[in-house]
Amino acid sequence: MAIRDDFPILQRNINGHPLVYLDNAATTQKPSVVIDAMNEYYTTNNANVHRAVHTLAGEATNGYEACRTTLKAWFNAERCIMTGGTTEAINLAAHAWGHSQLKGRAIILTEMEHHSDIVPWQMLAEAYGNELRYIPVKDDLTLDMEAYEASIEGAGLVCVVHTSNVLGVRNPIEKIVEIAHKHGAKVLIDAAQGAPHCKIDLKELGADMMALSAHKMCGPTGIGCLLVNEETFQEMKPFMGGGDMIETVTLQKSTYQTNEHRFEAGTPKIAEAIGWDAALGYLGNLNLKEEHQRLLNIARYVADELRSMNMTVYGRHDDDDSAVVSFLHPTLHSEDLAHLLDARGVAVRTGHHCAQPLLHRLGINGTVRASFYIYNTMEEAEQFIQHTKDILERFA
Amino acid sequence: MTYPEALVELIDDFQSIDDKMERLEYVFDLASEVNELPVAEWNEKTRIHGCQSEAHVLLVIEDGKVSLRAGADSKLVQGLMGILTIAMDKLDTEEAKKITPDFAVDMGILNSLSPSRSNGFRNMFDKIMDELEEN
Repeated sequence: MAIRDDFPILQRNINGHPLVYLDNAATTQKPSVVIDAMNEYYTTNNANVHRAVHTLAGEATNGYEACRTTLKAWFNAERCIMTGGTTEAINLAAHAWGHSQLKGRAIILTEMEHHSDIVPWQMLAEAYGNELRYIPVKDDLTLDMEAYEASIEGAGLVCVVHTSNVLGVRNPIEKIVEIAHKHGAKVLIDAAQGAPHCKIDLKELGADMMALSAHKMCGPTGIGCLLVNEETFQEMKPFMGGGDMIETVTLQKSTYQTNEHRFEAGTPKIAEAIGWDAALGYLGNLNLKEEHQRLLNIARYVADELRSMNMTVYGRHDDDDSAVVSFLHPTLHSEDLAHLLDARGVAVRTGHHCAQPLLHRLGINGTVRASFYIYNTMEEAEQFIQHTKDILERFA
Repeated sequence: MTYPEALVELIDDFQSIDDKMERLEYVFDLASEVNELPVAEWNEKTRIHGCQSEAHVLLVIEDGKVSLRAGADSKLVQGLMGILTIAMDKLDTEEAKKITPDFAVDMGILNSLSPSRSNGFRNMFDKIMDELEEN
């Protein structure tokens, strides 16, 4: 049975054409096992987690905590704090760790970052006067590692995107961590795009914190996590107060939980955690290495075809890169092309992809982005190319 | 409300097209209806805010009649401007003020556009109406 048979939404027709969903870097579709797991929770186990002793609460707690256990094992992480997604995870790192640990120290970011890994640090720098330094992107779309090494002195944190959501470029994280640690700086990885495409071992990578989202790896929206090593976890201070994060509360003072719950105030995303756990179980049954190679081959084919249509393609599609193809036509506006593709059932994304500094570096305002995931086929890529050719013939 | 004759014809045309692709193609074709505002004349005053693409419109009143000049970097947006041109160009100002954005609903074009493009179309319309009120 083909992978795509597990995804009910892929049976849809859009504007009279079979759906060709190529917006996976924005969010992935959900297999039946994820939808069923969340439905099952609401149908048979729904309760609030942790404190209550009744059966349903126990089942809900087990389901929620099972996701944490799976995530720790999947990413080989010491601590896993559940959040609302990658953005919330990075904001948590900025508040819970950055506020107390980065006073007087510089923060290094890259020109390639998603806004979610820029804005929280700009806000922190505004409050505490930290210097922000940016690793430039070179003409070959890789990070300028010499400039990075030259800027590391005095830095307390390096924030870097594992895999660019615009370019698909996988950054040399291991080298970045090595240099940071040599100079006493910690490293936070934005793995929103990297985690869905390869199995990341946080300990092997050596990074101190890593943020990611469920919905980009077949899980539900509204949930993600911040993975943290033990040393960094012990340095973090509670950020949001109330609910499950407390141990005791008196009118004078509160004490806090010592485990990950101290950063999970309020009722957590229970159904979403159960759905994410099911998604990880589903992905765990696939050969992700083989899938990655297959998708890269599709991306390379698409990139070559688009170049032959006089498009500029922003990406290199090396072996470790993700299957993302960002491109622009010299005259047909990116949004016009996306509208015309949608009329033929093809879903692609346009705009700045929440990476305006990178697009500024490239001298453009936006791109069309086609991004591929486990259920996409070469036939779909060929259809996308044929539709694009037809559109150019008619409108360009 | 009663629409000008050219607009009624346009509404009929759009209502007779069921296929989304053909509707979009028609909007593209209407880009040629625009009295072009050259890029050199684009400025903050002519900018239509809330459009995802760069879009500009200049309203000129000549002998009590509306004259629209417009330009955009997207042909689809320029086509939407073409629709507004057909709807309003050369109308008496008082007649033009009576037009409501309902004509776009009657045409059915908003269903063929993304929510952001629909908002952009509405912003375009509102900008012209605001300037008409000021005149």
